[in-house]
Amino acid sequence: MFHIVSDSGCDWSQDQAKALGVDVVPFYLTFDEQTFLKEGICISNADYFARLQEDKTVFPKTSQPSPQDFIEVYQPQLEAGKDIIVVTISSKTSGTFNSANLAAEMLASDYPERSIFVIDSMTGSVGEALIIKELIKMRDKGYDAQRASQLAEAVKETTKTYFTLDTLDYLKRGGRVGSTTALVGGVLGLRPVLHMVDGSIEQLESVRGRKKVLKMLEEGIEAALKEEAQDVELSVGHILCAEEAAQLKANFEKALAVEFDHDITPVGAAIGTHTGPGALAVAYCIRHEALEARMSGNGLPAVSAAA
Amino acid sequence: MSNWFILAQFFGVITIVFEFASYQIKDKPKYFLAQGIGSFFWIGMFFCMGMATGLSTQMSLVIAATYSTVRNIVFWQTFKRNTAKSKEFGINFLLLMIVFALVAGVYTVTQVPEQVRWIHALGLVAALSFVIGQYMPGVHAVRITVVIYALAVILTQSPLNILYGDFRWNVMGVLIEVAKISSVAVFYWRFGKQPPEPALAFAKPSASKLPAVPAMPVAAKAATEGAQAY
Repeated sequence: MFHIVSDSGCDWSQDQAKALGVDVVPFYLTFDEQTFLKEGICISNADYFARLQEDKTVFPKTSQPSPQDFIEVYQPQLEAGKDIIVVTISSKTSGTFNSANLAAEMLASDYPERSIFVIDSMTGSVGEALIIKELIKMRDKGYDAQRASQLAEAVKETTKTYFTLDTLDYLKRGGRVGSTTALVGGVLGLRPVLHMVDGSIEQLESVRGRKKVLKMLEEGIEAALKEEAQDVELSVGHILCAEEAAQLKANFEKALAVEFDHDITPVGAAIGTHTGPGALAVAYCIRHEALEARMSGNGLPAVSAAA
Repeated sequence: MSNWFILAQFFGVITIVFEFASYQIKDKPKYFLAQGIGSFFWIGMFFCMGMATGLSTQMSLVIAATYSTVRNIVFWQTFKRNTAKSKEFGINFLLLMIVFALVAGVYTVTQVPEQVRWIHALGLVAALSFVIGQYMPGVHAVRITVVIYALAVILTQSPLNILYGDFRWNVMGVLIEVAKISSVAVFYWRFGKQPPEPALAFAKPSASKLPAVPAMPVAAKAATEGAQAY
């Protein structure tokens, strides 16, 4: 039996995570660089985005959880005799992976019989959540921590995350696009399509108009998944555009003739700071069961569960 | 017939080949690379024509072709690197090119006889729309604007030649523009027949390289490949 820990980059609320038996260590958010609020605990996503929309001049910042924050979560689980698997947001976008590792190193000598596996998801938001969901399934089936972490690493390799934004303003504020690009892109109505490449956010394309970008996401992802739709899990996230997200997910399910387990996820503040309202995220991966079968030739024994 | 003139025709044919090929390419960096190589030979063609007929008659065209070559090379690198920094540089360069073209174009329009100003103005608008079209995302904007630009060049060649009576009339120059138009026509004919493809290519999850994970005893505390274990 192992316990799962993540950071709030996975966009799950504390209540949602608790219900699934996952501890979520929150990022810190600050509007004035003096008061630091724990995401999802001190400030709700709704309040956060309301404030962001009310005052267009405000640009909040996020900071990673400290090693101590992780220690506080690890310790009770280690005391209870559980191993831990931690999934963090990409180390290329945040120092959370380092904090989680440092915390594990600090506790290693105190709990020599226990193991903590720290996985750098190399993605974030709904992509990170997909990996955690697969871990939950493995935990519930009774997999041990080592095997589950191996499979989670394989799931991670198959996880692809795409975003589209409604405005370039937030990318500009975060220094991810230049002022002229944002200005000209705004005038031309360009919507960027971003994706995670080796853990970093890169631009795949710019498309004119919201309708067109949604159509491209839909057609492109359907084409990528159609040959193995039965083995795939997909998740859609959004910031204040739930209807579009629901429609997108429904269209995927209809076109691919499958039903995905994941609910539509409101994207949290840590990611939303850099994307702004109107962002849509789509992530997909291969389910661990399918991967296990495929990887049997790679040295991983194809057994359904290990206790 | 001078050797320079023959060489100009040779460079012209190479330009036609690259111009034609570039509009068959969907990938933006490869398109700009083909355009860059083509416009390099285009400079050569105007230069050789100048050497054959008097450099002063072709100098403005040599400058225009050089401007085009530099622009294509800069855009090739902009889209090839595809980073925030390269995009910012590319868009600033585009705006600078537009400003230069506008200043030079407006100056030219004001200097030419009144009855042909509209022809020069038409050429200026067509050239600017093509430069912007090149930078726009997707495959259509560049192809639509290049047809407008090529038509504007062809249509204005004859009247200008008649009015000025000098060496503006260049058969190879017109053939290059015809090559652009016919290449766009071939592009839509080729891809119009194919079943529609998604405009953006998204990664297949199974295309990823799966880690070769060695089987380990459950009790082992060694790190798996990737995950850090403590």
